[in-house]
Amino acid sequence: MREEKNYWQALNLALDMAMAEDSSVFILGEDVGLYGGTYRVTEGLYAKYGEERVRDTPISENSFTGLGVGAAMVGMRPVVEIMTINFALLALDAIINMAAKIPFMSGGQYTIPLVVRMPGGVAKQLAAQHSQRLEHTLMNVPGLRIAVPSTPQDAYWQLRQAINSNDPIIFLEHELLYFTKGILDSSIEPLPIHRAQVRRKGKHLTIISYSRHVLLCLQAAEQLAKQGIDAEVIDLRSLKPIDWDTCAQSLQHTHRLLVVEEDCQFAGSGAEIVTHLTERCFFELDEAPIRVAGRDIPTPFNAQLEAASIPQVADIIAAAQRFRYPS
Amino acid sequence: MKYEITLPVLSDTMTTGRLARWLKRPGDKINKGEAIAEIESDKAIMEMEAFHSGYLAEPLAPTDTDIPVGQIIGYIVDEQEAATAQTHSETSPESSAEPETTKPEMAKPEATEPKIETPEAITTPAEPISTEQKSPSVSGVTSPEPKTIPPVHGKRIASPHARALALKLGVDLSHVPPGKDGRILAEDVLAVAHQAPTLNLEAGPPFRLEPLTLMQKAIANNMIATLSTPTFRTTAQISLEAIKQSAEQQQISLTLLLAIACAKTIKAHPQFNAVYTPEGMAYRDRVDVGIAVDVPGGLVTPVIRDVAERSMDELAEDWRTLKDKIKQQRLTQQEYEGATFYLSNLGVFPIVYSFDALVPLGAAAILAIGAEHNGRCSFTLSCDHRVVSGADSARFLTSLQEQLNAN
Repeated sequence: MREEKNYWQALNLALDMAMAEDSSVFILGEDVGLYGGTYRVTEGLYAKYGEERVRDTPISENSFTGLGVGAAMVGMRPVVEIMTINFALLALDAIINMAAKIPFMSGGQYTIPLVVRMPGGVAKQLAAQHSQRLEHTLMNVPGLRIAVPSTPQDAYWQLRQAINSNDPIIFLEHELLYFTKGILDSSIEPLPIHRAQVRRKGKHLTIISYSRHVLLCLQAAEQLAKQGIDAEVIDLRSLKPIDWDTCAQSLQHTHRLLVVEEDCQFAGSGAEIVTHLTERCFFELDEAPIRVAGRDIPTPFNAQLEAASIPQVADIIAAAQRFRYPS
Repeated sequence: MKYEITLPVLSDTMTTGRLARWLKRPGDKINKGEAIAEIESDKAIMEMEAFHSGYLAEPLAPTDTDIPVGQIIGYIVDEQEAATAQTHSETSPESSAEPETTKPEMAKPEATEPKIETPEAITTPAEPISTEQKSPSVSGVTSPEPKTIPPVHGKRIASPHARALALKLGVDLSHVPPGKDGRILAEDVLAVAHQAPTLNLEAGPPFRLEPLTLMQKAIANNMIATLSTPTFRTTAQISLEAIKQSAEQQQISLTLLLAIACAKTIKAHPQFNAVYTPEGMAYRDRVDVGIAVDVPGGLVTPVIRDVAERSMDELAEDWRTLKDKIKQQRLTQQEYEGATFYLSNLGVFPIVYSFDALVPLGAAAILAIGAEHNGRCSFTLSCDHRVVSGADSARFLTSLQEQLNAN
């Protein structure tokens, strides 16, 4: 199959295929059944697979996520949908204390083949409590894996791979990506779930990003190209683990590092990326790395302030222009 | 309102410039568009116009010092009182012992104590001021922008990659001139590594170093740029009898007539108007002849445009204008760049029998003409072998001879 799909349609298809192939796969969350999911990701699945496998839950994130952990322990492959990442705060005990720890504390007697899907990020004027990014929190939980697809192709394949994995995986979707379009080609051999991908080849600087901001970086790169600055753009696709080899290989020919994240700068993913790559590639660096990140404030409701609180294309361009390039 | 005056970019190759002189004094009224200073670029002195009306305000950058393009060299303010008060408000609140720290991006005002021009002061200028494009980020947050990096006791700031390369290539970092931002990056190390080995002046007699003038730097860079051109030379003996008579009869410069003869010859041999680029051979549809002119402290190559097609009167007028501008050091970048063919004539020195010239970047050939001996002059054509071959040069010189005799 090769056709243009929305990001949400790609996720929907991945769930459908996984459920068709494996009867241990089931979905639970708020409004995933009758309503079809807040962002339509589970649309049609309730009708197709019934209420046993597409279960509407009460508004009790910690309980139904904990239910997912328990089901995973006894051999099911649950896909938990948390309506937005902001509500995942209530489920952190199930995610951090149970899902992430049980495989270790049981000495490997239990695996947790659990996927917890959650949309996050700054959408359109949803205010501070509904615009969070919690990458920095979840990245600091040993035992979790985090996938951050930015395209329909990745959304489909990474979700398939996540469901097949025996480890607990946090699947971070971005609210502004659901209606983005892209080609979904199920015949292309997928990359491993945690492999980064070079989205644009370039020789002057390496821009590393993930999720929605990869798209902004690609726009910035096209504008930079008009100024003679040839940027390589890497889509991490996974925040835990991070594919350092792909990043380091890029730095070996660009020698300049720019990291772009929507999440706040302080102690965030950019901090980890810059530190790790500086340790590993110190003598490859011709400039001090630059981070472009969200401001360290709760996201404002006002549209202009909201836009000003996270990196925009112009910020990425301005940051790239701060480097000196070989003439 | 207080407007910054920044050092303008006067040519593509210009990275630093010098203030030849200020035409206005602090507190003077200035109208938009009025000339306020004279700036010396690689090759010319040009007037700089004000972009705002107001009063010239201190601190002003000193004259005769290399200043990076884009750096603030002074201010224009709305009120006259503010113009003279600036000096105090800018410098007095801070400790006067270290004026540099109060305004790091500002060239030191002339009015302060006599300046000691250490090599660092020249080679490690402050960070260039951001232009509109480089305005601070409008949103999001970016890692703090490093401010000017001050030289630490003459130590040089080099990037990790630059250090690693220097070690690998055996380059002594203390011999690497930093970029205009004061830092040594990989490209600066590579530039030194690709240079000829450095002289050891210490082995010879005592010496004094005079800083290169901007023209000397420009000439050195232009000449080094020719090194990668594979060149061959062809010499012919040609009589100038006919063209000399013509010049005398018509009261026209011999140089101009030679340029016209070359341009007409090129029309018949268009590959001499081409230039090699890795993307392909660029054929230009107009013959612009650059003429090497001896000036105090170096040379310039004013360009006469469209020499093959325009009338003698127009060309003569152009040539007169160019020569005047050279005398006044007012030649602009547009007037000395972009020639498609070059001419160098040492015929005025009777002792010169023959010589050859370097093919400037952007041309396929340059013609070098010696003095007359036994009724003939030696014409040496230096050619880019990627563009033309030996037989082409022979045919070109044959046609040129016919062209000259036809005068």
